[in-house]
Amino acid sequence: MFEFITPMYVFLIFAGTLVGIIFGAIPGMTATMAVAVCLPLTYSLGLDNGLALLLGLYVGGISGGLVPAILLGIPGTPSSITTCFDGYPMAQRGEGEKGLRIGIVASLVGGLISLAALYFFAPALAEFAIKFSYVEKFLIILFALTVMAALSEDMLMGIFSGFLGIFVSLIGVYDVTNGGNGQFRLIPPGTEYWLEGGFSLLPVLIGLFGLATILEAAEAGMPKGQSLKDIKVGEHSRFRWSVFKGQVGNLVRSSGIGTFVGILPGVGGSAASILAYTAAKTASKDPDSFGKGNPAGVIASESGNNGLTGGAMVPLLSLGIPGDATTALLIGAFTLQGIQVGPLFIGNNPGTWDSIIIAMLLANIAMFGIMYFAIRWLAMVVAIPKHILFPVILMMCVIGAYTINYGIMFDVWTLLIFGVFGWLAGKIGIEIAPFIIGFILGPSAEIYFVKSLESFGTLSVFFTKSWIAVLLWVLIAGSIAGSVMLARRKSLMKGAQG
Amino acid sequence: MADLLSVSINFETSHLLFPKLIGAILLLLGAAILVTHRRAIMNSGAMWSRILADMDKPRFFGTLILTVIYFLLMVPVGDRWPNTGLGFLICSIPFVAAISILYMHDRSPRSLIPVLIVAVAAPTLVWWLFTYVFALTLP
Repeated sequence: MFEFITPMYVFLIFAGTLVGIIFGAIPGMTATMAVAVCLPLTYSLGLDNGLALLLGLYVGGISGGLVPAILLGIPGTPSSITTCFDGYPMAQRGEGEKGLRIGIVASLVGGLISLAALYFFAPALAEFAIKFSYVEKFLIILFALTVMAALSEDMLMGIFSGFLGIFVSLIGVYDVTNGGNGQFRLIPPGTEYWLEGGFSLLPVLIGLFGLATILEAAEAGMPKGQSLKDIKVGEHSRFRWSVFKGQVGNLVRSSGIGTFVGILPGVGGSAASILAYTAAKTASKDPDSFGKGNPAGVIASESGNNGLTGGAMVPLLSLGIPGDATTALLIGAFTLQGIQVGPLFIGNNPGTWDSIIIAMLLANIAMFGIMYFAIRWLAMVVAIPKHILFPVILMMCVIGAYTINYGIMFDVWTLLIFGVFGWLAGKIGIEIAPFIIGFILGPSAEIYFVKSLESFGTLSVFFTKSWIAVLLWVLIAGSIAGSVMLARRKSLMKGAQG
Repeated sequence: MADLLSVSINFETSHLLFPKLIGAILLLLGAAILVTHRRAIMNSGAMWSRILADMDKPRFFGTLILTVIYFLLMVPVGDRWPNTGLGFLICSIPFVAAISILYMHDRSPRSLIPVLIVAVAAPTLVWWLFTYVFALTLP
């Protein structure tokens, strides 16, 4: 039953988690970047071993961010922003090691609770989604885009980014294998040879998350890393499990929030930890102590962001919709192995499903083991100079892009095009997460939409097909209304502060 | 109402339906952004001059230029030794070294040693791994 558990499988989980932690611990490098850079290593590994490596990188990458957040007050990844609020004050008063261990335990709990949610919820959702026709599938994608837009910095730009992603994904031939007519569209004359199949997914992702990050760091002058002297783990603080006394509610609530945010498509770890932190502060009897080194803040933030890991896998494995940017990359890994994720995935691939669950479980355990017992060495990772790391990462990005389609140089240029686009997008307010989700789901959205119209001949089918369609429209309207209210409240608060 | 919503799709031109629809939505959203963000858009000239002024130009444009040169050279160099991946290896070593030196703040001979070791070792290890272990094509 568990024949996929080989020494290689376990080694890859361990190695992936370790490398992920290192990526997460270096400010400016993220779990997404770790997965993007290491994807080419999975080409020859097979699905189970490839996923073992990538899931280790994912769990490790999300967890590693707490190291610089607590020791230096710099979030290693966006998902550990709120860990700084209380972790750094703890480190400043000599409780760095204690803060780190609290964060590590909270990360483990968050990861395990979300894994349980994935295990029980994803098959149920998939079973329900099997009944969906193209109409409901199209509306699910529309819902995913509106949720992402609703949680974007700027709703209008969020929606625009999502639709731009869809538009870019339509470049190329209208795929015959999916029922298209094989005609070219949106291709500038003379570029048919390169753009026949459109832009490949992985070079686009590697460009957006690898090269763009390096360009941003280069623009900022490649800020000097921290020296080892700046890192104070703290000699006088001993971690005791009693610190978790009275924190069970906080742990469960924050992990639950993280899992829920993960399930929402395209919403990243920073939203998970911010929401969990805010909820913990609101529920606390002593909210004023938050931001001044209250361990409850570290617990909320870290269990929240690790809660994201299992949650983000739910829509990926049950609907084929990635829950965050890193799981979007995992779609690429599935595609590489010729497997399509969607409602039929779990039922048709029970072995792979088991392998994913076991890999995530072992990755969480490995993360805890590595970080809890090697925390003093890991703290030094923060000081690895970027002038050595980034050029090697650039080279790995090139390999990833080149080897994806077994040696097409245009894929390498795609990497550059989207690296520059990713850098530009950050300047002009285009949001990458909705863009990516739009880009990934665009071709499916087209097939679902056009084929529904070809079959039924009327747009009314999108409203009347089933009660699920009606429910999805209610959810779509609700997410738009919610985001408008949120934007109004924000502007009112700004006005009041002004 | 039913007539208004009815749509007939010609299969021959069906490849244009969705791109046109998405294009129209993008235009509408673009117009809405133009209206709601007009102040920011009008000030975008100032924003870009600020970005350019604050930018570390040698490192930013140096990265772009070196990357383009690296991409342009890889295939012609590789074509001299087909199917060996040597184009990748021969171009990657100077590329990694050049980018590392570009990103360094202290370029003393002592700090150059680890940089040069990594610049030789990392591409060689990756080239060996992909060519001999994974049997994947490199330029």
